[in-house]
Amino acid sequence: MTAAARSILVGLDFGTTTSSALVAEAAVRRNAVTGRMELAVVRETYRSPLVFTPLVGERLDLAATLGLVDGWLACGGVGHGGDGIAGGGALVTGLTARRDNAASLVAAIRERLGTALVATADDPCLESWLAFQGSCAPLSRRHPDRSFIHLDIGGGTTNIASGRDGDVEATGCLFVGARHVRFVPGTRRIVSLTPLAGAAFTALGIAARPGDDLLPDDLDRLLDWYLALLGRAVAGAAVDPADRAWLGHLQVPFLPPGRPAGSDPPIVTLSGGVGELVYAAAGGTPLPGTTAFGDLGVDLARRLLTHPAWSRSWLEYRPEGGGRATVAGLLRHATRISGASIHLPDRAVLPLADLPIVGTLSPDVDDALLGRVLELARRCSGGAAVRVRGMQATAEMVRGFGGRLATALAAGGWPAHLPLVLLLDTNCGQALGQAATAWGRLGVPLVVVDELDLPDARWATLGAVCDGVVPVSFHGLR
Amino acid sequence: MPASLTPLSEIPLPSPRPDENYCCDGPDGPIRFVGLKSLLGAADFPKAGDRHAGLAAADEIAREAARTLLSALTVAHVHERPLCTADGRIDDVMRVNYDVDQEIHREIAPLTFGQLKDRLLAATGAEAVRLGRGLTGVTAAVAKLCDIHELILVARRIANPTRARTLLGARGTLSSRLQPNHPTDDPRGIALLTWWGLSMAAGDALIGVNPAIDTVENVAAVLHLLDDLRRRAAAPTQICVLSHVKTQLAALDRGAPVEILFQSLAGTEATLTGEFDVTVELLDHGWRTMRERGPVRGAAQWMYFETGQGSEFSYGRHEGIDMTTTEALCYGLARRYDPFMINNVTGFIGPETHRDNFELLAASLQDLFLGKLLGLPMGIGSCYTLHAESGLEGQQATTELLAAAGATYFMDVALNTDRMLAYFDTSAHDNQSLREIHGREPAGEFLDWCLGRGILARDDTGTVVRGPEWGRPERFCGSAEEFAELVAATPALHGFETAGPRPADAVARRVRWHQAVGRAAVHQPLDVGRLRSLAPFREIATAAATHDSHLAAPALGARPAAGELERFAAEPFPVQILVSDGLSAAAVHHNLPDLLPLLLDGLAARGIGVGTPLVARHGRVKLAEPVGERLGADLVIHLIGERPGGDALASRSLSAYLVYRLPDAVRVAAAQASGHAGIRHEVTVISNIYAAGLPPVEAAAQIVAKTERILRHRAAGNRLEGLIATAAG
Repeated sequence: MTAAARSILVGLDFGTTTSSALVAEAAVRRNAVTGRMELAVVRETYRSPLVFTPLVGERLDLAATLGLVDGWLACGGVGHGGDGIAGGGALVTGLTARRDNAASLVAAIRERLGTALVATADDPCLESWLAFQGSCAPLSRRHPDRSFIHLDIGGGTTNIASGRDGDVEATGCLFVGARHVRFVPGTRRIVSLTPLAGAAFTALGIAARPGDDLLPDDLDRLLDWYLALLGRAVAGAAVDPADRAWLGHLQVPFLPPGRPAGSDPPIVTLSGGVGELVYAAAGGTPLPGTTAFGDLGVDLARRLLTHPAWSRSWLEYRPEGGGRATVAGLLRHATRISGASIHLPDRAVLPLADLPIVGTLSPDVDDALLGRVLELARRCSGGAAVRVRGMQATAEMVRGFGGRLATALAAGGWPAHLPLVLLLDTNCGQALGQAATAWGRLGVPLVVVDELDLPDARWATLGAVCDGVVPVSFHGLR
Repeated sequence: MPASLTPLSEIPLPSPRPDENYCCDGPDGPIRFVGLKSLLGAADFPKAGDRHAGLAAADEIAREAARTLLSALTVAHVHERPLCTADGRIDDVMRVNYDVDQEIHREIAPLTFGQLKDRLLAATGAEAVRLGRGLTGVTAAVAKLCDIHELILVARRIANPTRARTLLGARGTLSSRLQPNHPTDDPRGIALLTWWGLSMAAGDALIGVNPAIDTVENVAAVLHLLDDLRRRAAAPTQICVLSHVKTQLAALDRGAPVEILFQSLAGTEATLTGEFDVTVELLDHGWRTMRERGPVRGAAQWMYFETGQGSEFSYGRHEGIDMTTTEALCYGLARRYDPFMINNVTGFIGPETHRDNFELLAASLQDLFLGKLLGLPMGIGSCYTLHAESGLEGQQATTELLAAAGATYFMDVALNTDRMLAYFDTSAHDNQSLREIHGREPAGEFLDWCLGRGILARDDTGTVVRGPEWGRPERFCGSAEEFAELVAATPALHGFETAGPRPADAVARRVRWHQAVGRAAVHQPLDVGRLRSLAPFREIATAAATHDSHLAAPALGARPAAGELERFAAEPFPVQILVSDGLSAAAVHHNLPDLLPLLLDGLAARGIGVGTPLVARHGRVKLAEPVGERLGADLVIHLIGERPGGDALASRSLSAYLVYRLPDAVRVAAAQASGHAGIRHEVTVISNIYAAGLPPVEAAAQIVAKTERILRHRAAGNRLEGLIATAAG
């Protein structure tokens, strides 16, 4: 709450089964304890209903989907062209991300909402990270000495993330979800199987196919197998996608950090549509009837409710977010905020979307590597970003590393039109930028953005300056 | 509530008279005081501000001589000799003070001050207040004849209850004014500190925030926040944001819930108008506006004033009047508006007005006596700063006496540490301790609320005691996560654990350790030799020859020592760098090694000529002006240590004052922009420079950038920002 204008955050999640939106009013402010700038939610202004993701056959119904988006944005008070949006994200997730026109949806959303928010498809680790942040992170902070493994079970995928004290330690993704087998609602009559489900049926000896009823024993075998996959992942065995035992269901390996012998096992938490059913039932709300949603969701939930190792957690450790973990994560966590003192000689350089992050430098990097990373950046026609880790806010380090950067940039004849962005985790961006441009004498369009948590990501998007800070989002998390 | 405000022109005034001599025999010859101002100043307890103003008695004999003379003067004598401005005028503050009950005045006018004091000591509280209606702030000088017991005895008998949403000041109560200040007005921090105070039965007088940013938009936002917090808690109290009265009225126009209208007052018109930008006419307008549009239904009062001995002196606008008398004149002005509450914050300024614990104790008791006698609902913000010779135990001793003297309320500043204003006040722990020691309760409606929530309870004897929910702020939050989020945004928390009504010892130790580090920063000598490893500093001495004089008399550090400037000649550099300890040499020691090299790099790279840096021990901000004048610099970059507060790290906080000497060509524009015809300098400030704030390397880059802009635009401060904004379209 300062004199600064309020900003808008938007989260849009297009999942395998359902899609939803959140809109919130936010404010850029300095945390008086950490000294860091924050983009904090002031109040949620709009929460859409969960709707089925519009499909036409095997493709996204783009017109219907964008109609939904326009309606949500209007309800959330978002102006034309995304005026006032400071951050957030639009994510096409799960099996929807694999539909051949998913990229068209991303492009259309970016056209509508600008570059302030990250928009991407098929980024499973980002999705896992967001689901943890949007659901489990507060609970994890309440129990800082325990490890959590969070399963966001949607229609097509289970995004898995382990974390401690609110921080994500590892992410992965399985093709386990409610929508791989579709039924006539209220019956066991199979309507469709995804290719992965078909492979699983074959491997498990289940003869049923679309048009058949799935027999109780076959359903049990299928659910046993899915639960076993989840169990193996939680146990840290989801390592090798080529392992035939996964039958192609391991999209991204999950490698949680090792735990000391004798330590408590991690606490398993859930989100996504299946997670919401589990917690509701654990709290006394009866599960919906047989295949009420026309998929495996209710059956998966029932199995999870009686899971021998995890079920004790459902009442004791309940995360936030329910079926909206990803969209909540998008709204609150997809966008980071730079520090207030950055190096940005020309505001018009921003925004910059989808900058490739070509490498990581440290102040003691040797000249050869420094040259190679800058050369990689130089070959990116739209500009590039470089992470800088280990930088300390001392005169010695700023002068030393800044001077070497200036020398390297001058020697390479850096093009005057090509943006170069340095991403720092410490608070010395303005000073480093000045030193690296010989206090403005080098005509390099260098931007130095500081005080960022720097994930291991492939791309960065920098929004326009907002209340003196730059919103930054990452995608392509590794 | 007065039915109307007396027009100033209808207040009967005596004509100014020339000063008279007041003389009595001393052991070594006659002791003489020229004029009432001199006599009143000498009759008071010795205090730093009066000493610096040349008004305090030279010694105890002179003080007692003055008191004896004053004791023999009649009320009429003093009443008929208004204390005038330097040009012989009765200013508006003095004028309002003469709005007394004429009948009562006629009754007491023949009494000597000695007789008046005796009558007050024999009177009931109601009778004392009745007599007070015949007194001006000056004739309330009877306080100068009272010892500590007498100040307490009279004040204790007087109750001046007022009503807004709660009834404040009823007998048997001790209320508190919750002050959840946050350095950035972060609503999470304000919410946490509000919940914490409410959970300890604090806030029945008011929940009020000093805003970090005094804009209409921000003030309105904080008001809405406080309103929301109060409603969520369903706490029967009132809210306020302590911004300028104009800002609050503008916020009211925008629909913000201005329940109580606040303003700082001063006892001379020169300070009130010249420094606070407030006139009696404006206060009248505010009072009338609130009468019409104040949102608290049933409120009989709606104004809230803060005062404190010494503000007039610290601005150099005291008109030769001593601190107690100017304070009493504030009360005479406040009385016009029948305020809901008065808060006295003597001690906030520092050692230039009150040197030590005793001076603060005596002043606080005088203020309580004076305010109550003049019919006001007096609360006391018994406070101190780390650069004065005062501290927590002195404050606690003072509050015990103030509680005995019937103070209406004290402040609740969490763990005594104001997170925005770098000073120390009473806490909710203190208030509860005082209630338990003195057998007092919160205001009635608020007490019921506390009992209902289990914050307070009644024991078997019916005595109000702490309840099971006392000191549990988390109970106001929807979830543990929400509470954790509030905690994460609030500095200087140090812990919620308690021991009885006190903070647990571990918490107290942390609070005191931070204060100790801050106080050490004030008293650490500036190590010029250490700085010379960074640059060949030239040393310049200020008129503050010692550390004590530096702390006690800020004006000395603002000018070079006699003859010092003559050692320097004009130089051809547009920029000079000046380093001063200010109130924290530690800030200089910790920040210069990373700041100065980059600053010199940047200025050199930009082709900006800069002289060999200068360093001053015992320097104050304004020292940059004569230095810049002498050296012929366009701009002096003055790096100076800030006043330490309650955070150990922040006690190393440095500020950069970029003091631009206005060339003739732009002085007219600067005068128009500032409204100050005589303006000679404009200033841009970059503050909060320390490792956990703005790191010194970043500060160096910012200073270089600002320097370039100041020189290019030939402007600094608000005018520079306006020019840049205009240029950016």
